Amino acid sequence: MGKHETRVVAGQTDTIYHQIPPFKFLNQDSVWVSEKDMEGKIYIADFFFTSCPTICPKMKTQLVRIYERYAQNDQIRILSYSIDPEFDRPYILKQYANRLQVQAPRWNMLTGDKKAIYTLGEKSYMVTAQEDKNEVGGFVHSGAFILVDKQRHIRGIYDGTKEEEVNHLIEDLEILLKSN
Amino acid sequence: MKSFVLAALALCVISCQSKEEILHEQYVIEGRIQYENNCANCHQSNGKGLRNLYPAISNTQLDAPALAHLIKLGRKSQQGYMPANPKLQAIDIAEIITYMRHEWGKNEQTFSFDSTRIALKDIN
Repeated sequence: MGKHETRVVAGQTDTIYHQIPPFKFLNQDSVWVSEKDMEGKIYIADFFFTSCPTICPKMKTQLVRIYERYAQNDQIRILSYSIDPEFDRPYILKQYANRLQVQAPRWNMLTGDKKAIYTLGEKSYMVTAQEDKNEVGGFVHSGAFILVDKQRHIRGIYDGTKEEEVNHLIEDLEILLKSN
Repeated sequence: MKSFVLAALALCVISCQSKEEILHEQYVIEGRIQYENNCANCHQSNGKGLRNLYPAISNTQLDAPALAHLIKLGRKSQQGYMPANPKLQAIDIAEIITYMRHEWGKNEQTFSFDSTRIALKDIN
């Protein structure tokens, strides 16, 4: 399950999952959120911006579904990184989260240095996230949901705009929950 | 052969819809496609929206001309923003509104192309 490489150690094939490096961004409550807050948590990451007119609404519909499903499960977190952090200041994210009726720390909406967010998206989460003036809304980004385990290893990437794909994510999430 | 023609005629009298009914159905069918392509992304296929982020439109209190304006021009307000839809023509908007009436308003009245044109006349 998930994105990984293999290597051979002492004649044995070993699986190495790709690991998310440390990060630190502000959430909708202007509280710092870093990889330390994700210790012992399985989380789902996505990239969005609050004024997105295209795929974000579909993605948010699906994330709300996950949020509700695991309302009582403290092992699970959602991290939504803004790719328009200059506009999406914490108070804008706060309004957005309020209207979506979701709360930190279970669902963190993150903002911060734009370059750091783009680099994290492209190099670590392996998804497209960049500015594009030709695109509706001004940004091009993938609709991916990235499933990350408690060791910050990427375990799966799913199309967050499609209900069936998100069902697969939930199945894999259930397996992860049972395995530790 | 004669009886076949008679039977066909009889069938047509019973089953053929009036011109208006056919037109209305065309509006509803096209409207559903336009709605799915342009509106359902935020307001959802069932018109119920997503919490307070994207408002429900299945119970809108706006009349058809106001709705036509809103669809064409979008809206920016304290509560949020809806993008304009410059690509949607009067006929598309007429179909969308007719579809919304049919689907959620228990209203089978066609909001015609001409009515939409009049509603939108001050915005080219």
